[in-house]
Amino acid sequence: MKLNIEGLLVYFPYDYIYPEQYSYMLELKRTLDAKGHGVLEMPSGTGKTISLLSLIVAYQKAYPLEVTKLIYCSRTVPEIEKVVEELRKLMEFYTKETGEKNNFLALALSSRKNLCIHPEILHANIVVYSYHYLLDPKIADLVSKELAKKSVVVFDEAHNIDNVCIDSMSVNITRRTLDRCQTNVDTLQNTIQRIKETDAAKLREEYRRLVEGLKEANVARETDIYLSNPVLPDEVLQEAIPGSIRTAEHFVGFLKRFLEYLKARLRIHHVVQESSPQFLKDIYEKVCIDRKPLRFCAERLRSLLRTLEIADIADFSPITLISHFATLVSTYSKGFTIIIEPFEDKTPTIANPVLHFSCMDPSIAIKPVFERFQSVVITSGTLSPLDIYPRILDFRPVTMASFTMTLARTCLCPLIVGRGNDQVAMSSKFETREDFAVIRNYGNLLLEMSAIVPDGIVAFFTSYVYMENIVASWYEQGILENIQRNKLIFIETPDAAETSMALEKYQEACENGRGAILLSVARGKVSEGIDFVHHFGRAVIMFGVPYVYTQSRILKARLEYLRDQFQIRENDFLTFDAMRHAAQCVGRAIRGKTDYGLMIFADKRYARADKRGKLPRWIQEHISDGSLNLTIDETVQLSKHFLRQMAQPFRREDQLGLSLLTLEQLQSEEMLEKISQIAQQA
Amino acid sequence: MDEEPERAKRWEGGYERTWEVLKEDESGSLKATVEDILFQAKRKRVFESHGQVRLGMMRHLYVVIDSSRTMEDQDLKPNRLTSTLKLMEFFVEEYFDQNPIIGNVLLFEINTFFYICFDAGNPKKHVAALKKAVGSTCLGEPSLYNALNIAMQTLKHMPGHTSREILIIFSSLTTCDPANIYELIKTLKELKIRVSVIGLSAEVRVCTILTRETGGSYNVILDESHFKELLMLHVKPPPASSSSECSLIRMGFPQHIIASVSDQDAKPSFSMSHLESVDEGPGLTLGGYYCPQCRAKYTELPVECKVCGLTLVSAPHLARSFHHLFPLDAFQESPLEEHTGDRFCQACQGELKDKSVFTCPACSSVFCTECDLFIHDTLHCCPACIHTQGAS
Repeated sequence: MKLNIEGLLVYFPYDYIYPEQYSYMLELKRTLDAKGHGVLEMPSGTGKTISLLSLIVAYQKAYPLEVTKLIYCSRTVPEIEKVVEELRKLMEFYTKETGEKNNFLALALSSRKNLCIHPEILHANIVVYSYHYLLDPKIADLVSKELAKKSVVVFDEAHNIDNVCIDSMSVNITRRTLDRCQTNVDTLQNTIQRIKETDAAKLREEYRRLVEGLKEANVARETDIYLSNPVLPDEVLQEAIPGSIRTAEHFVGFLKRFLEYLKARLRIHHVVQESSPQFLKDIYEKVCIDRKPLRFCAERLRSLLRTLEIADIADFSPITLISHFATLVSTYSKGFTIIIEPFEDKTPTIANPVLHFSCMDPSIAIKPVFERFQSVVITSGTLSPLDIYPRILDFRPVTMASFTMTLARTCLCPLIVGRGNDQVAMSSKFETREDFAVIRNYGNLLLEMSAIVPDGIVAFFTSYVYMENIVASWYEQGILENIQRNKLIFIETPDAAETSMALEKYQEACENGRGAILLSVARGKVSEGIDFVHHFGRAVIMFGVPYVYTQSRILKARLEYLRDQFQIRENDFLTFDAMRHAAQCVGRAIRGKTDYGLMIFADKRYARADKRGKLPRWIQEHISDGSLNLTIDETVQLSKHFLRQMAQPFRREDQLGLSLLTLEQLQSEEMLEKISQIAQQA
Repeated sequence: MDEEPERAKRWEGGYERTWEVLKEDESGSLKATVEDILFQAKRKRVFESHGQVRLGMMRHLYVVIDSSRTMEDQDLKPNRLTSTLKLMEFFVEEYFDQNPIIGNVLLFEINTFFYICFDAGNPKKHVAALKKAVGSTCLGEPSLYNALNIAMQTLKHMPGHTSREILIIFSSLTTCDPANIYELIKTLKELKIRVSVIGLSAEVRVCTILTRETGGSYNVILDESHFKELLMLHVKPPPASSSSECSLIRMGFPQHIIASVSDQDAKPSFSMSHLESVDEGPGLTLGGYYCPQCRAKYTELPVECKVCGLTLVSAPHLARSFHHLFPLDAFQESPLEEHTGDRFCQACQGELKDKSVFTCPACSSVFCTECDLFIHDTLHCCPACIHTQGAS
């Protein structure tokens, strides 16, 4: 169908449209018009991807000078494939409707084997790839630096974007890394020696180039060709590489000294936490390494590797990592912290020293993106509360909106279970989590649900440790045995292979009618990337509130930083983080309007306004006051009723006019009035 | 609704929120929305099947009742098993009433494979067997695979011109199968066996696929009255698939011969259908139906002759099956305010009080809602039309 979005002709490749899609496109267009950034929350399964693509493609066609390129960033390869599939449909529709030959070029980067290096790809109109290609400085420099300024960047499934940013800037160094670095350095030294004997001119040429400095790169950046790179700070570009590391041998010697210093630092027996300036002071005192050469380390190493014509860069990843660390630590005095731990928390007896160079400010990594591109859109099914993202990512959006799901029938049923049948409060909070009654009540809840929910149930725990404890105690109490009469039980483990095996068997059991329960962990692989459509997830049970492990030093440092820099209280951030993960978990079950599922929050703390208020609006509006503090019995009654209602035949005609619209229906005054209420501006 | 089964005592009922069912309409008055919706659905169902379709009039229906431990659940009163069996009794009677041409109803339980009954065309035996099953204990997990397999073994030998149907009353949400059920579904599809499922608790994926693949229907009950309605859906013969065979069937129409005791020639004799049942049944009788081909005697019709295999029916049986093929046209619904004629229903003579009235397109008589349903569900002919025909 052809839509008119505030004067823009949009080709939409389907005969029907959801009202919220229309509303979403309106907001998106306003964002593009204003050439600003946007934060948009829309429930999963309501056709976010196709709305985004249709509108932006239409915009590109209408104003080819305003927007030249769409950069669509998604999280995983299957998601990228889904985007490409939708895009293909859209393009076919264009060809069919206009009769013109398609002159649009889209490019998807998924893995090295699909990579194309033809120069024409630079002119692609649409680029689809993973976040890391834009955010991770190591990759971004290779892939994304030549993207034009007049691009629209979309981050889909972006509820975790701050963590991606932090991860891409953080460096962890173990003893193993250092050992491999040592090998790298030795190889470098040998190669230099060899080249010196055979082709000394090459090294001299490099030296000459380094003296001239990185003028080229500087010119490129000033003329606005390249995306700036956080690992390559401006100062580096304006100055020449210092003399002390200009010749190849000197540089290798410098690296050796640096390595030795790091090794010495790892030989400790107690935890050390320090800031970047402290670290720099210490390194100067101990091994006389100045700040300036450190800052040039990454660039110098790259130049060396290029000169030596080393083909297999992957082998040199440890030394590259170290060089990045050197550059980052000497460039940023704020936003990073260094923590050296002699052992892991779980195994305090085994020495396994790690140096965490931890980024605490997600805005560092994403800043170049916001500064360079005219429109950046952050979107996901769960972005509540909306206002926190601009704060932690440090940008000013022009539109912030949350959309609800219009439903012909209430297909989601969020219930907050606060008590067992014995009236003992259920909660995973630290003081009561070992309580026998709480564990038993959790077990009873799962047992009762396993008897009334058909096919698949997914249960989430707050951590692996907690899950192990609870499952062990259920086993002793005989609860597991009873559950197994109703359904098979599968468990997610930290091992990826084991988990994918469990998942496969879980799906098989759901498919052939035996029924299954998947016990998994919030923040785990299952909670993030895997959808449980229809019968694969008829109920999701969230045992406890998935707070992050608060004793971690890295987290503590980050919380402190957030409080000092962004005035976000520790508790607010922790609750926000816990609730977005809870929302992600329960959102796994509803993947569209024909789907239905129970969402059970098994912790009495969910009933509090500060928790409940942080759930996405499309879940929140279905939590009635009557379902705030239920007992297990009440939950069972409500669920039974809900499941029977949902099992009644549901056809497309029932949706038409309410949650699914034809073009005529869309154009009616009354409907437009309704649509304007779907989006809630934050 | 008057016919609604007596509600359970308040304190026996589940946790309910009756106030949520009530919704204010625009004028601010309360009405029971859900009942309204159900009523609409009922009406819709009555008229859904209209149109000229070929129906499989000769039916072989195999009813399977789950008897796993979930049948002990008390959300139907007094428990699922008792309630189901009670409704089944009603179903069996209705089934034989509406499908008088020979059919088969077989009943058995899913996990114990205990046959309640195996006989043709005699509702009494089924009902007796159902009564016997009340109160039996339900244990263990069911297996859809085993149930379907056994039903299939019997049905696949039925002649191709009859319909082969399986109806499963499925209470459990799990099935413990010895082999891959999807293979079996494929076989069922090849054999053109239609499987329908009535779920007592929730929608199970494998049942959805099973019914979709084999062309049956899948419904889940809301409460007891809804359960009854869903069962009644299966009384009506399903449309025959175009690929099923057509054949002419020899039928005998025996006359009932009543011999008076005073008649000296009359000799008491056994009914053939009672020969095999040892436990009960009348002994020697004087009169009965005699097979026109082999003179074997039967006390009840319809029946398949044990001796020569001829199908024995009476003319009214055929006539009763007839209405499925030529159903009564839907009456026109119009709001009460627009109606100008009589204020009384032609059938029950009660005052018209409902929102809408129904007019027969042939004779323009008006009926109330309840009578409209009764006429289409049970009578299958308009009483006013018949009246005028009789007069003329």
